[in-house]
Amino acid sequence: MISPEKAVVAAILLCFAGAVLTLGIARLKTLAGWLAFAVTAATAGLIFAAVGRVLVAGPSPEPATFWAMPAIGFALRVHVDGLTAIFLLLAALVALPASLYSIAYMKHYGDYGVARYYPYFLLFLAAMYGLVSTTDMMWFFFIFWQMMTLTGYALIRFEKRKPENIRAANKYLMMMQIACAATMIGAELLAGAGTPANGGAALKYDFGTVSANLPLLLRARPGMTALAFGLFLVGFGIKMGMWPFGQVWLPDAHPAAPSPVSAMLSGVMIKTGVYGLLRYFLWLVPPVAQGDYPVRSWGLVVVLLGTLSLFTGTMQALSQEQTKRLLAFHSIGQIGYILLGTGVCMVMLPARGPDAAALATLGLFGALFHTLNHGLFKGLLFLNAGSMLHATGTQDLNKMGGLLKFMPLTAATTLVASFSISGVPLFNGFASKWCIYVAAVQGSRTAGYLAPCAVVAILTSALTLASFIKFFGVSFLSRRSPLVTAQAARRGKLDVDWRMQTPQVFLAALCLLLGLVPAIAFRFMQQAMNASRHGLGAVFADAAPALNPPWTGLRALEGRALFVPGALAAVVLVAFLGARALSRLGGARRRAVAPWLCGYVRESACHHYVAHHFYGEIKRCFRWLGGAPQRPRTGSKKT
Amino acid sequence: MNILWIIPGVAVNAGLVLLVAPLCEGVLRKVTAVVQSRRGPPLCQPYFDLLKLLAKEDLESGEAPVVQRAAAYLSLATVVTVAGLVPMGLGIPMNGVGDVILLIYLLTFCGICTLLAGLAAGSTYSIIGISREMMTMIALEPLFAIALLIGVLHTQSFRLDAVLKGSVYSADGFPWSGVIMVGVMLLSFQAFVQRVPFDTSEAETELMEGPLMEYSGPKLALFKYAQMARLVIHSALFVALFVPWGSAFVFPVGWLLFWAKVGVLVLLVTLVAATHARYRIDQALHYFAGLLLVALAALVLAAYGY
Repeated sequence: MISPEKAVVAAILLCFAGAVLTLGIARLKTLAGWLAFAVTAATAGLIFAAVGRVLVAGPSPEPATFWAMPAIGFALRVHVDGLTAIFLLLAALVALPASLYSIAYMKHYGDYGVARYYPYFLLFLAAMYGLVSTTDMMWFFFIFWQMMTLTGYALIRFEKRKPENIRAANKYLMMMQIACAATMIGAELLAGAGTPANGGAALKYDFGTVSANLPLLLRARPGMTALAFGLFLVGFGIKMGMWPFGQVWLPDAHPAAPSPVSAMLSGVMIKTGVYGLLRYFLWLVPPVAQGDYPVRSWGLVVVLLGTLSLFTGTMQALSQEQTKRLLAFHSIGQIGYILLGTGVCMVMLPARGPDAAALATLGLFGALFHTLNHGLFKGLLFLNAGSMLHATGTQDLNKMGGLLKFMPLTAATTLVASFSISGVPLFNGFASKWCIYVAAVQGSRTAGYLAPCAVVAILTSALTLASFIKFFGVSFLSRRSPLVTAQAARRGKLDVDWRMQTPQVFLAALCLLLGLVPAIAFRFMQQAMNASRHGLGAVFADAAPALNPPWTGLRALEGRALFVPGALAAVVLVAFLGARALSRLGGARRRAVAPWLCGYVRESACHHYVAHHFYGEIKRCFRWLGGAPQRPRTGSKKT
Repeated sequence: MNILWIIPGVAVNAGLVLLVAPLCEGVLRKVTAVVQSRRGPPLCQPYFDLLKLLAKEDLESGEAPVVQRAAAYLSLATVVTVAGLVPMGLGIPMNGVGDVILLIYLLTFCGICTLLAGLAAGSTYSIIGISREMMTMIALEPLFAIALLIGVLHTQSFRLDAVLKGSVYSADGFPWSGVIMVGVMLLSFQAFVQRVPFDTSEAETELMEGPLMEYSGPKLALFKYAQMARLVIHSALFVALFVPWGSAFVFPVGWLLFWAKVGVLVLLVTLVAATHARYRIDQALHYFAGLLLVALAALVLAAYGY
């Protein structure tokens, strides 16, 4: 059994090899696709093994050094602890379906070759594996970050003949470079000012060294450390799409990339920002320095930024009419929830009181769980959007309608993902939002501003629901649009083939599983916290909510907050069957009829109420938020 | 509570609600008629309506009949589930299943089924209705959430049995937050039960029933039944949260008192509905936005212990 660190490095090397091989056989699109999938599956296997080992047997005591140049503090040191394990697992879980999906999906690009797709895809994945497991804050952070940025750039401008894609990619590249610079300057401020303690100059930028120096530094130069942490917040905030940075690049970059890459961008890549935030703000600071580290103030900043992100992102998403652009704005919104959970955790961490530590842990669990959930359902939604694009050739919601009849499986998975992201009970989004709300509301005893933030989050959840009712409704339900009719007549069948359906079903099944048995995720996170006891992160392992058998659901605050999805599902199921039986009591016969339009006119396409018209009054009230799309080129003008 | 008792408990609560709901609707129609100087239908008419609809032909005009059927079943099923989360004068059968946050979300989900149904039917009128209904729900969900969260802040517990016991008032009197919230909820109550002046999504005179316009027969019966039940459930919730006095008496007295209070609330809804004209959707939204700001202020007060 190889050590987790070796497994991760092996996975990265495997990706490199895969990149070279797929480049070599790029002429054979399908074969290259299967090869890329095989490589991704192999790395996923390695990652699962590494994660399993860390969770069961605990992490290695020390980071493993693979390559070092002591003179300049250059060392590839890799450490897989619990926090890393969560993000590694997320990357593997989303990459696996995305790569399988790519095989059939990339064929519809016609004359765009896959030589600029699969190699970059694999390198992109490798960079993400590397970024979340290296302990080097400078050189290897830079290398992996740039690898992720540049391959991401190439993937976003894959359809390079469209000028808007080039623009989106350039914007993305610029923002990522700013983020990289901010984070590296921050690291230099922390590492450069301290005296190397144990490892000498060789490990100047290592987490261990910086962490050991931090207590002194926090006391001696509070202004400079605050600047460093501020730079980290900006850097990782740009990466994760936090307000106001997210609005700059994210809504353009996500729709430009091919759909499986959008799934990776939104599902995994922006989460490396969350990882960085947690790692630097919580795990890097040792508990002895807590007196000098204003974690509560940082928490306030993160809570406010999170609340702003979730409200603005979702409100802007409400007015979108392009599938993937809508989803991209929701990424900003959902990142807001993750930030809110993280912020609550940071606010509660130094608080005194019986529940403080438990609430901090609950907030963190909510944030981590939502990170995982968002990866699953947003990945799924981007794949759904890809299937819709594949079937209809457009991202424009105004031109869709009535797809359910043609692609029932895609419709079902989209419904699951839509309910998940909107936080409908029994789906996974609800469980993670539940943790965040409980922590925030209960935490408002300590910090009064948390309660209004929680209410904004609840309001935003309704906005999300509204947005996805529109997304699902106008594309799959509603009336068949002329475009869909034309496509169906031209192509015979619209539904995508099994290589694109399987990934969607896989992700939808995971969403349902985590929604019905969220305790699995809790157990996983608790093991992960147990396996990453350093810095302020050590608090969470001991204060984790009590573990029950998975079917008894979630409990927090000694049972003062609880959610048992199993029992709820049973009640709803019985009630559902009861309602069905009731509706059949009268023996009514069903008959399909034409819709009724006041009796004097036949329905035609010009009567359709398209996506553009939805929620007009609310959109008008919040027009000042920006992000509104242009008026649709076609479609009815009537109200 | 034993896990095996959940379903019978929910059945008792839901049975009560489903039994009383058409009667409340009957009262509503009768009183409206009296106010408007008409004679009005007999009190039992809603029961007959439902029975008749169950046997009528089921016309399906949408392109996704499966979704239409599922939405109809689910709309009654969620209402039944919510009935299990609310005390109907006795205990809360699903107290061990979920907390206040679940209640907030399920109350919203009740409306979602109607929305899906309307979208599946796909008629233009339905979809206009949906758009309006969703906007109303966006504005209303936080109001209810704030009322419940104020209770949570006062009791330090998310449990339903702790919160749905007049918890907006603390043990030692009437904090400002609770008093403000009673006002806010009274002013928005018509909207929660989708009655005039806030029934913009159905607006018979302009949208012809909105989301439900394409429905007939058993499906319409289920939707109508769910809507009648929502009136009772919301009234019960209001009573449990804001008018807790007297519910602690021994079984028949406290229980009867509870239902009497629910009845009074239904009458109040009726009188307001019969004497007001419908708001336009933008007027309604502005009205809710104002209430929301007041409610947020109340929440902040509650967070600081007032």
